[in-house]
Amino acid sequence: MSYEVMVGNKAAATAVKLAKVQVASAFPITPQTTITQYLSEMYAAGEWDFDFVNVEGELTSQVVVQAASKVGARTFTCTSGPGLLYMHHPMQVTGSSRLPVVMAVVHRGYKGMQPDHSDLMSQQWTGWGHQYVEHAQEILDSLLMAYKVAEDARVRIPIAVGYDGYVLSYTAEPVEIPDQGDVDKWLPPYKPMPSVLPDEVDPSTFSRGWGGGDPQMPWKIHHEAVLKIEEVLKETMDSFEKTFGRRYGNGMIEPYKMEDAECAIIAMGTIAGTCKAAVDKMQAEGKKVGLIKLRSFIPFPVNDFQAWTKKLDGFAVVDRSICPGKGGPVFGKLRDSLYDLEKKPVTLQFHAGLGGKEVRVHDFEMIGDKILKAAKGGTVEQVTWV
Amino acid sequence: MSERITRAQIPMSELTITPGSACQGCGAALAARLAFKALGPNVIRHGIPCCPDSVTQTPRVGTVFEGGGAQLTGTSRALKAIGREDVLAVGFYGDGGTYDIGFQGLSAAAERNENIIVITKDNEAYMNTGNQRSGATPKYARTSTNPIGPRSRGKPRPKKNIPFIFAAHYVPYVGTASVGFPEDLIAKVTYMKTIKGFRMLIVQSPCPVGWRFDPAKTIEIARASVQSGIWPLYEIMDGKTFKLNYKPKELKPVTEYLSPQARFRHMTEDEIADIQETATANWENLLKADEMGRLTL
Amino acid sequence: MIEIRLHGRGGQGAVTASRIIATAAYEEGKYSQAIPMYGTERRGAPLTAFVRIDDVRVRERELVHNPEISIVLDPLIAKQQAVVDSLKPGGLVLLNTAYPPEEVNLGGDFKVATVDATTIALETLGRPITNTAILGAFAKVTGLLKVESIEKAIKKFFPGRLGDMNIAAVKRSYDEVKGPIQAVVKDAPPEKVDIHVGGYGVLKDVSSWRVYTPEIDVEKCVGCKTCWIFCPETAIQWDEEKNKPWIRYEACKGCGVCANECPVNAIEMVRVEV
Repeated sequence: MSYEVMVGNKAAATAVKLAKVQVASAFPITPQTTITQYLSEMYAAGEWDFDFVNVEGELTSQVVVQAASKVGARTFTCTSGPGLLYMHHPMQVTGSSRLPVVMAVVHRGYKGMQPDHSDLMSQQWTGWGHQYVEHAQEILDSLLMAYKVAEDARVRIPIAVGYDGYVLSYTAEPVEIPDQGDVDKWLPPYKPMPSVLPDEVDPSTFSRGWGGGDPQMPWKIHHEAVLKIEEVLKETMDSFEKTFGRRYGNGMIEPYKMEDAECAIIAMGTIAGTCKAAVDKMQAEGKKVGLIKLRSFIPFPVNDFQAWTKKLDGFAVVDRSICPGKGGPVFGKLRDSLYDLEKKPVTLQFHAGLGGKEVRVHDFEMIGDKILKAAKGGTVEQVTWV
Repeated sequence: MSERITRAQIPMSELTITPGSACQGCGAALAARLAFKALGPNVIRHGIPCCPDSVTQTPRVGTVFEGGGAQLTGTSRALKAIGREDVLAVGFYGDGGTYDIGFQGLSAAAERNENIIVITKDNEAYMNTGNQRSGATPKYARTSTNPIGPRSRGKPRPKKNIPFIFAAHYVPYVGTASVGFPEDLIAKVTYMKTIKGFRMLIVQSPCPVGWRFDPAKTIEIARASVQSGIWPLYEIMDGKTFKLNYKPKELKPVTEYLSPQARFRHMTEDEIADIQETATANWENLLKADEMGRLTL
Repeated sequence: MIEIRLHGRGGQGAVTASRIIATAAYEEGKYSQAIPMYGTERRGAPLTAFVRIDDVRVRERELVHNPEISIVLDPLIAKQQAVVDSLKPGGLVLLNTAYPPEEVNLGGDFKVATVDATTIALETLGRPITNTAILGAFAKVTGLLKVESIEKAIKKFFPGRLGDMNIAAVKRSYDEVKGPIQAVVKDAPPEKVDIHVGGYGVLKDVSSWRVYTPEIDVEKCVGCKTCWIFCPETAIQWDEEKNKPWIRYEACKGCGVCANECPVNAIEMVRVEV
């Protein structure tokens, strides 16, 4: 096992190599750009049996990996912001077709170049698993785990792993690089299900047929398959820790210093890291607020939050995106998860980091103070733009 | 270059599963049937929204309308990755998926010289959605979005010269074909199988519903199109070598092609003369190129 | 509320007919809804449309499942039991056919009326498009709408001389319709041909698409394989031993390409017996 001080984008490229991806395709867009270069260099160096397809646009890159996955190659693509929006159309085909494509989304808010989560958040309807990670090590580890989860026969759903552009993509941190041999043992080769090779295909599938049957069933089946990610992700996190010695909570959420907490801040991505520093500070001052870092947005850890509710009086939800006219996605989904419970903790909505706005330790201290005040019955506005 | 075959040499095998959902007399259905006689079963057939999607005894994959070139690329790269380059990645796309919404992806695939075969069933409009104009619709043709009225004489602009556009990507093979000339079509598909890289065949496929003619005349009209120089049959290799496959001593007048189709019924004498002039001039150019055996692109 | 189902072929104007009925209803102060069956229509393939007429604004958006009235625009489709499928007991079916109601073989508890709308259309319009020709008969046998309302509605869809010609067809079918009488056959036959075509894929039998059927005179045939090579549906099969073609009729849509291309006129397109 070795390590390197590397930028987030390199961590992503390193995961692609460790996973022995067979076909990757991407179109350069800030701040994802350097991934396309790393992969091209890896291809040119012949580091493993790898094909990187330089394409003319993001939509094409999604269809390339979709088709390649269908035929039997392990695939990877990556993009940011507008590039993700551009490939929205074929993304839903990848989802509906149950292809285990893994994609890194280097967050770029679509109202600018700097990071926020509007890019991946606006793709909720494409039928993929959505994860958000905090630091470069987690990028590498999460991408590896994404392959294992996506390709699991119980799942077969594409997974997008998002990480904040600039802040992570271009900041260098020490990253431990797992042994290739260990990864090979842990991540078996990919087999397409079903096969579309002429000598293996099931002839009864030739005719597309009439439709007929209940047109709602494909949606129900897809929905249930995405929900299945929770079980498999938790299992995969256990096996990842066993093999590689690291874990991130249970995969769906990562609680931080929540043992004696009365309130929790919920955040995703790099700002969760900043929040950890704030939590350390606040707890040293005797403030009983911790962090529940949200890793999996789809499927949403309903069960985990319902369990935590028993011990908590308040949730401060920090959304790094907003659906105009609707509100913050994590805030809405959390409240929906708590609706049927008898005990309803106070919930506050914070918008932070949109448009790439810097979120600082003292911002989280303010958030911590507010939720603690609200949880004790104090009057606090429900929505705060940090 | 393709090698001529005779009627007797046309393979007996049928890979299309019929009857399908095509209209009576559908040129595109015939194009797929003929192509598959040469392609054989070791094919993954690629489709996108199109009309009709002929069903064959081969696996079929599909994706979004604009993804034709991209999906062939992905398949071809994956077949290489898994050691199955024996399998052919073949796309059957319409003019929408080739000339318009699908153009970008195909152009890029051509530029990268992906190892794929693209067979375009060109029925000169978006027929699947009800005969709306496309970049392949010829000048003066009436479509549902180019109707005839005081402000509109049908499509105002000529058909895109897609074969030359793709030839200008310097790809190994671009050919034109017609369902009225089945031996030529099959010979070209047979040839495409023997080489690698980006190969494209555009097959003019008359549509009785959209072009508005009696379905019994599908082949007659396909033939008239070629014989009047409106849709010449040729091959371009590597953007350089050029061969005209069918060279009648004299072209038939374009009226033989235009008259039976109600989509051209409104045309004035001047408009017909315009089409005749264009066809004649284009033919002269092609004859010259054929004489030299090459194009300058 | 009255619910009507129309059966026709792609390109015959069944959808227009449904809209004319809906317009005529509104002319009389009633509310209406005309619904096509959405799908990718194919020229020559059977299709279905619906109409609802009521005294209040129609709210339902589901398809019509149990119509009171079934109208069939095509004489071949008129022979299919499917046209009276799920008709309300005591309902009515109006068929475009040269047969009188007594000779109609559709079975069940409904009334039958017939009119040779094809002939009327050919004689008044010069084309076998029956969507307006049948509406006069519809007004007469159902008594639902006045024929004057139908004529007013037709003028909205077909202005000028075309409108007059269509109205002539309407007047004739009003006069010439036979019935309604109670269906002579009491019981529905057990088997049924599916006449709804929608979407993509492989079909089982397209015989119902044919208005003309190819018939090969094998004596005349010189074995050139032209018919075989040009059939889009591989309906024409080639017997290599005999060196002659034969037709797989369930795949034949009656397009006529084979007959048109045969260099020795060995194939004749014969009008399907109605």
